[in-house]
Amino acid sequence: MKSNQRKAFAERNLLIILAVMAVYLTIATKGNFSSWDNITNLIRQSSINGVVAIGMTLIIITGGIDLSVGSIVGLSGMVYALLTSNRGDIQMTSSLAIILALGASALIGLANGVAVHKGKVPPFIATLGMMTLVRGIVMYSSSGRMISGLPMGFREFSVATMLGIPALAWTWIFLAIFMAFVLKYTMYGRNLYAIGSNIEAARLSGINIGSNLYKFYVTAGLFSGIAGLMLGTRMAAGVPTGGQGYELDAIASVVIGGASLSGGVGSIFGTALGALIIQTLRNGGNLLGVDPFIMQIIIGAIIILAVFFDQYLKGRKAG
Amino acid sequence: MSFGKEILRLDNINKSFPAVKALDQVNLSVRAGEVRGLVGENGAGKSTLIKVVTGAYIKDSGKMIFEDKEVSRNSPIISKELGIYAVYQDVMVAQDLSVAENFFLGNQPKKGPFIDWGKMHRESKKFLEEIEVDIDVKRSIKELSAAEGKMITIAKALWQNPKLVIFDEPTAVLTRNETKILFRIIKNLRGKGSAIIYISHNLEEVFDTCDTVTVLKDGAVVGTYATEELGSVEKLIPLMVGRTIEEMYYKKEVAIGQELLRVENLSGSRFQNITINVKAGEILGIFGLVGAGRTDIARAIFGADKFDKGKIIVNGKEISIRKPKDSLKSGVGYLPEDRRNQGTFAQQDIEFNVNAINLDKVMKAGILNYKKAYEQTKEYVDKLSIKIGSVYQKVSDLSGGNQQKVVIARWLCRNPDVLIFDEPTAGIDVGTKAEIYRLFNEILNQGKGIILISSYLPELIGLSDRILVISNGMVAGEVKKKDFSEEYLLTLAMKNIVSKEKIREAV
Ligand SMILES: Nc1ncnc2c1ncn2[C@@H]1O[C@H](COP(=O)(O)OP(=O)(O)OP(=O)(O)O)[C@@H](O)[C@H]1O
Ligand SMILES: [Mg+2]
Repeated sequence: MKSNQRKAFAERNLLIILAVMAVYLTIATKGNFSSWDNITNLIRQSSINGVVAIGMTLIIITGGIDLSVGSIVGLSGMVYALLTSNRGDIQMTSSLAIILALGASALIGLANGVAVHKGKVPPFIATLGMMTLVRGIVMYSSSGRMISGLPMGFREFSVATMLGIPALAWTWIFLAIFMAFVLKYTMYGRNLYAIGSNIEAARLSGINIGSNLYKFYVTAGLFSGIAGLMLGTRMAAGVPTGGQGYELDAIASVVIGGASLSGGVGSIFGTALGALIIQTLRNGGNLLGVDPFIMQIIIGAIIILAVFFDQYLKGRKAG
Repeated sequence: MSFGKEILRLDNINKSFPAVKALDQVNLSVRAGEVRGLVGENGAGKSTLIKVVTGAYIKDSGKMIFEDKEVSRNSPIISKELGIYAVYQDVMVAQDLSVAENFFLGNQPKKGPFIDWGKMHRESKKFLEEIEVDIDVKRSIKELSAAEGKMITIAKALWQNPKLVIFDEPTAVLTRNETKILFRIIKNLRGKGSAIIYISHNLEEVFDTCDTVTVLKDGAVVGTYATEELGSVEKLIPLMVGRTIEEMYYKKEVAIGQELLRVENLSGSRFQNITINVKAGEILGIFGLVGAGRTDIARAIFGADKFDKGKIIVNGKEISIRKPKDSLKSGVGYLPEDRRNQGTFAQQDIEFNVNAINLDKVMKAGILNYKKAYEQTKEYVDKLSIKIGSVYQKVSDLSGGNQQKVVIARWLCRNPDVLIFDEPTAGIDVGTKAEIYRLFNEILNQGKGIILISSYLPELIGLSDRILVISNGMVAGEVKKKDFSEEYLLTLAMKNIVSKEKIREAV
């Protein structure tokens, strides 16, 4: 089978699953599910995880994993809040604070990349350490308290809409399309897949492994940083526990989206569908009044099934 | 020649993959004591056929009969129990276990409840000594070289005493001496009444070893012939490729130009004081025994490994080469020997693989032009007659030989000033070999130079303008075209090896 056909095949399956879920939920909720309000709400709720998952997709394609994304989400939001809150000592302009928040996020990403490439620390361990470390910074700098009093314009972003679609959702859609383009049409994307599928062959093809890995980890950090700001506008505050556990949803989205944890395989579109599927489950469960703990069980089972199904299809092809 | 009873019969076997029909109504019958060659172009279906026999793949239709009984359900476990043993093109024995454990896998000798290690080591050691394989049975497979690992896989065939043994291109990684041992093992197996299927692209080898030979083309059986009646390799080639090859080692005389690459006194951990030069329009052959350091030298020149001292001069300028990127930039390329592990991006498609180092030609302002990328790929796929369904097929779905061709296509497309080919035709079918040699001429005509590392002497002698012989990490001599002879090259190759023991090991 053609590989782009194959990829499209996996993505088509996800689309079908999503469609089936939507039809079922529409009937089961007597139309409530597909109300415009609910749909825009669903997309808005997916958007923050969706943005984090874009970065996670890159790292998983390299064959690594990034457990620090949730903490970076918290860091970025907190840096912004500390720098702009009208109750603090520093009161910067919003745009300068955004740049600094993203800068800090990128820096953490770079540190991950250096630990993985230069330090030869396995990505799981390096980013696990970073997850704890960064969360510590967030807690310490805020003394574990919420920081509110953020600029008006920043807070309003979370309720702003364009063409009836929330600005947060637009942010996600725009970033996803942009990264999908970058992965398909630029050296950056080609190098990513090359390094992820065979690092030695990539090196012998003249690809600089180190500088590329740094770029990917920095990008992942940046996307988490953006997600942190998105969370900040929704919470209208810097939250010390903000982003906690986000790495799990992000990983789940990427895996459901068809990426392989051994690297070389994965797509932004697949990940976006994965994020939507997870959120649709939550949203549907909510509307149907399913116990949230039961929902957790279901989502866990679906992650395992997604990977199992993928392996099963692969096995059948060889046999 | 008369053989024993029929061991394996295949009736009208079919097997399709999404893009191709890999086996098309295949009929085959092999008897006890028969050594059957199986030949055909890359992608003809040889490996698929044996995987159907071992149950690694499930056939779509047809019958498999083993010792007069139909095998309707098959799997690697079932076929093993039936007495079928396969030495695959790419898979090896258990990597983490020791040589001895591999031999005794599944039925370790016991002393009470414990494994009797002493007995295990003694018996496997004795066995290897009998067949003159000198490998420590306590070492684990992953500590061995590729050739030694293969040797153990092969020796295990004899150890298990199966009824049917299948070898899929066993000699691609073996030294001459190991190949000799392999042939002895095959004789031994035949004597014990096993049936043997032997796949190889080295047709001389097939003629020397096999009683009969079956030719596959595009998944269908062309015919089965007794090698004695066929008489010569030349008779076999048209059956495989559908045409005759006039002159295999065709080489045009090209005017030799100025010096393109000069390596002075290069020293590394496994080679000393290597001085090499290549001129425009010239093929410099490099010969040496396995382990002489040819690949190490090539990798150092390319920047894949570090070297201690020495100078590399490209087009008259000294270049500092620390990573492959540097050499690529200055116009030196290297086609690695281990193309599967060091060349292919297996999960990616053919377009991705061919263009991996050629994206600059199909990008504009940093954006990839997929139409151009497609055309560029197609051009080289056609030039090397790579058998594929589409350029968007994953490389891992291609046959072993076609995967190799994809990596060769990548480098031909790059077309650097000096291209180092490391064993370019191992595992490649005859038709394509001839095609690759013609492409060499094209490269030379453009005023480029080639370094050809090869263990296959006919190829090296047929194509090189000069041959540099490396022995034990040092240059043993440079041989001019008029002095080319197998004996002379081999003598030089052994020059720096002192002990008899070592010679036997390396040959
Ligand atoms: N797993 C697979 N999925 C899809 N196509 C496959 C798969 N395995 C083999 N093929 C296709 O089946 C055909 C036969 O392949 P096979 O590996 O049997 O060739 P072969 O004769 O062993 O070639 P070689 O000499 O190159 O090893 C090829 O066209 C190959 O692309
Ligand atoms: Mg094969």
